[in-house]
Amino acid sequence: MTVLYLDTSSSLFCAAIYQNGKVVNQVQKNLEKDMSKEALPLMKKMLEDVSISPNDVDKILVCNGPGSFTGIRIGMTIAKVYAWALQKDISVVSSLEAMAISNDAPVVLPLIDARRGYVYGALYQGEKEIISNGYYRLDYLLEQAKSYEPYQIISNNDFPGLTKETYRPNFQKIIETYQNREAISPHLANPCYLKQTEAEEKQNA
Amino acid sequence: MKDIYILGIESSCDETSISIVKNGIECLSNVVSSQIDIHKNYGGVVPEIASREHIKNITVVLDECFQKANLTMSDIDAIAIAYGPGLIGSLLVGLEAAKTLSYLYNKPLIPVHHIAGHIYANSFVKPLSFPLLALIVSGGHTELVLMKDHFSFEKLGSTLDDAVGECYDKVARVIGLPYPGGPLLDKLAMEGTPTYKLPHPLDDESYNFSFSGLKSAVINLNHQFEQKKETLSPKNLAASFQKVVVETLIKKTKKALLDTKCKNLIVAGGVSANQGLRQAVLKLGEELGVEVSIPSLCYCTDNGAMVASAGYYAYQLGRRADLYLNSKSQEELK
Repeated sequence: MTVLYLDTSSSLFCAAIYQNGKVVNQVQKNLEKDMSKEALPLMKKMLEDVSISPNDVDKILVCNGPGSFTGIRIGMTIAKVYAWALQKDISVVSSLEAMAISNDAPVVLPLIDARRGYVYGALYQGEKEIISNGYYRLDYLLEQAKSYEPYQIISNNDFPGLTKETYRPNFQKIIETYQNREAISPHLANPCYLKQTEAEEKQNA
Repeated sequence: MKDIYILGIESSCDETSISIVKNGIECLSNVVSSQIDIHKNYGGVVPEIASREHIKNITVVLDECFQKANLTMSDIDAIAIAYGPGLIGSLLVGLEAAKTLSYLYNKPLIPVHHIAGHIYANSFVKPLSFPLLALIVSGGHTELVLMKDHFSFEKLGSTLDDAVGECYDKVARVIGLPYPGGPLLDKLAMEGTPTYKLPHPLDDESYNFSFSGLKSAVINLNHQFEQKKETLSPKNLAASFQKVVVETLIKKTKKALLDTKCKNLIVAGGVSANQGLRQAVLKLGEELGVEVSIPSLCYCTDNGAMVASAGYYAYQLGRRADLYLNSKSQEELK
């Protein structure tokens, strides 16, 4: 099976191509504002470098958030249209899930800064989601996680007073773990923002 | 000659629209997924909500477009994408979809300016003949553009502040009309008589427009009546406002037609659906012996067909983009 993995949910563009049980090529690049410009060319080059054509891919595994709203949509649009056009299987992986599984610590707390004291976070024991993916006040989440200490915080953001490890995606592990996740219709493969828009929040307040 | 099929993708604001057009003039399918009902609740388009809707809709709209045209991607010669101007988050969904299809099928990618799309919506009336004067009226633009050939745009004048459609929406709010107020204001104006005196903005010899003063005048008038505890007649206010707007647009358009000796006039953009403007433009055409083209109502609002039509002519001119194409929230017409 050939699996394409794509994560554009943060400024770090991540893509990998997996064939016959191993990652045969991968890209990690900090793109900041250029994600929309460069994501597709980078993915194309990654596949071409190992002579894999779009049709050779059997399954697309894409991160559907949480993270940068715009960022998530870039990778998700590519993945949805790809899966729809060439009738490929598509499954989604949470970016927190990908962060957690990439680390070897028994209990992992992946965090993404959501500003103003809030984070997107979850607590994992291996693949098991102990505290579910959510938009939390950081202090609240830490309080909830207390009884599971010691845990390893994984993040690409800095939080004053917290010791963390930087997120380094382990593509081999991510793809091995989630490649058999049930495929969904590309129409229904959608971002998971974990947060309403400000307009919706105001209206529901 | 071989037929050319262009796929056009448009997601600049709150409509996800994808179309297939043959030879630039024959629309085989034009699927539009509008979000008006969602944004209505907020009194205007909420950019982040618009982006979220676009990504939910994108493959559904693609699917329906190909089914209606009874074609497949292998029949398509090139993919035209409205890359800007517009709401950046919205534009990006269409852009990534277009780039992905271009990569997967190895088809040329044609960048199309959103306003060029509106201009080429007139191709569905009849192919453009040059030189022509384009009156562009939308929520983001008010411009007079002279075209001596395909994709040659010479801007004669434009608004110095608010776009005409923007002004319509703001005045509609003063009158108490729900979003989107512009079309409702037009309808209301048809029922009223222009009894209120409003200033004619930028009544000069230039080709430029200004609408923010007119908007303020309506707000002030409304305020004065409120203070006197009198009620304004909404339909008469709508009629008074519409009369000034239409007269201003027509005056500058007429001057531009006479000065350039252009014998073709086209109207483009969302406000070209305005009945008051449509009637006035047709009358102007008769008066000056100028041929007038206005898109049918379904091609006035944002749609993929106009992008595909513009894309066809851009394709013939050899315009191409590579996979590094990016969206632009602001962009000069080109």
